[in-house]
Amino acid sequence: MMSQFVLRNLFHRPVRTAIGVLAIGFEVMLVIVIVGLTSGMLQETAKRIEGIGADIMVQAPSAQMFLMMSGAPMPIKIADRLRELKYVQSVAPALLQFSTAGGVETIWGIDPASFHAVSNGFVILQGHELQGPDDVLIDDWQAKAKKLKVGDTYELLNHKWKVVAIVEHGKAGRIFVPITTLQDLVGARDKATLFLVKCTRAEHTDDVIAEIKELLPTNPVRPVKEFMTLMTSTNIPALQTFINSMIALAVSIGLLVIFLTLYTTVLERTKDIGVLKSLGASKILIVRALLSETALLCLMGIAAGVGLSYLFRSGFLKLFPTLSILITPGWIVRAGLIALVGALAGAAYPAWLASRKDAVQALSYD
Amino acid sequence: MSITVRIQTQSTAGTEPELKTLEPILKTENLWKLYHAGKVEVPALRGVNFDVLPGESVAVMGPSGCGKSSLLYVIGGLAQASRGKVYVDGNDLSTMTDAERTKLRRHKIGFVFQRFNLLPALSAKGNIAIAQYIHGDGFDPHRFEVVTKMLGLEGRLHHRPSEMSGGEQQRVAIARAIINEPKILLADEPTGNLDTKNSDIVLEMLRRLNKDLGQTVVMITHNPEATAYFDRVVHMRDGIIVDGIPAD
Repeated sequence: MMSQFVLRNLFHRPVRTAIGVLAIGFEVMLVIVIVGLTSGMLQETAKRIEGIGADIMVQAPSAQMFLMMSGAPMPIKIADRLRELKYVQSVAPALLQFSTAGGVETIWGIDPASFHAVSNGFVILQGHELQGPDDVLIDDWQAKAKKLKVGDTYELLNHKWKVVAIVEHGKAGRIFVPITTLQDLVGARDKATLFLVKCTRAEHTDDVIAEIKELLPTNPVRPVKEFMTLMTSTNIPALQTFINSMIALAVSIGLLVIFLTLYTTVLERTKDIGVLKSLGASKILIVRALLSETALLCLMGIAAGVGLSYLFRSGFLKLFPTLSILITPGWIVRAGLIALVGALAGAAYPAWLASRKDAVQALSYD
Repeated sequence: MSITVRIQTQSTAGTEPELKTLEPILKTENLWKLYHAGKVEVPALRGVNFDVLPGESVAVMGPSGCGKSSLLYVIGGLAQASRGKVYVDGNDLSTMTDAERTKLRRHKIGFVFQRFNLLPALSAKGNIAIAQYIHGDGFDPHRFEVVTKMLGLEGRLHHRPSEMSGGEQQRVAIARAIINEPKILLADEPTGNLDTKNSDIVLEMLRRLNKDLGQTVVMITHNPEATAYFDRVVHMRDGIIVDGIPAD
């Protein structure tokens, strides 16, 4: 009977219920999408780093896990010293430059020969390798996103580049230019952001890492395979704070909407509450009825939120094909629980208010 | 107050009727109810002494603002008495907590209101069944069938209040009030929102409940004609019972 009562009450005011469901849906979607976007981008970046084929990555002492934030503080000559180490087959320096012109881009400045030696080269879908100083390689996702083809001019960092090839995605970045040109453009002559090291055999990775640590004791030296597990929001400065802030914002919106919805519901149902009291309904029963209604509303909102998240992702990826939103069951459950707790917190005061209403006043309410 | 009556029961058939003392099922002693309008105390009841015997039907009449509804709410446990005593089936309401009065109301009292006060989201069946749910014994299909049949509601059970006439709504409200077999049925101007025909139907039903099932009924009314359906009429004026003196 209680479930029927709750259900009927919920559908008695369909517009209000729909607004409540939508509000919770947006809250859930916001959490899922924000977390999905950050973790998606991190995972995707990690996969592309792994896809290079290098065994070790050497960064500058103050470097960030999130490569695009790292700058170029290391002399490129370190590459020569690394090449001298035992079990090192090849070393490729790379200069990474963050660009926000026309989107969020990380431009990889590479030395084509050494990068080829480490990565076995690109899978070129159209065009040819970097040859001239103003050549640029882009991956197929970038070409699709920017509607570029071989022979087009691509303006980056206030510089006009010529697209000479479209390569298969999944290796390092999406945009590759000659390292020397990029060094000149950003004022980092003879500097590199990171060094990619290929060992003679993968089993020698630990030995080479030990050697590099001896040579460069303050530099982070990581096996590339480890990079994937380290690319999480907790390892990126301020990112977790950003995510937490966004979640708090989403929860606040949901909580306030539920509070307002329930508050108006309780006002509107003042007489009904008086009737329930005249029938002998206890305060607990009244609170339970309202909280059950909220929980049901919230469950519908969570379902809507999950649906909206997938809908948003498909629309978003059409607009920004180079980005990635990772929707995981773990975060769907977490977003649902966050929404549920927020909604129940928002409903608690109106429910308590309802349970304490004076029966006689409630019955004479119009 | 208690009265001694002669009762002819089946076990004593053919013999002299048995003498039994009936205790009032409802009794008030010097009952006061004060409302507060800012710092001013407004007395709604000013020392009411009132008794109702089991199986009795009593109509309470009086002009607007004389305290009839306040009396009903206090004896029904919806409002706390300011002073004096209220006994319902031997329980002193004036010493009870809100939770205790709620429990007593759940088990011993049924309410019928002037504006029907059905829950708009529920069907007629839902409105009646929720009283059974709150009572705690769960849905009793047999009792439900008996009550709805008696009140002629069989064909209207799946309709919502907005789809029913005033008379039908009030019959649903009566069904809801008596579904748990309360000791006392309290009706607050149950015909106040009904036309003459439906008023007669509702009053006849209350009379039948009283005469056929022995249901104790206390009804508040403005309608002098309604009093014809009741055993006793009590008049109120200015917050007190004025027995023998017409209030209007």
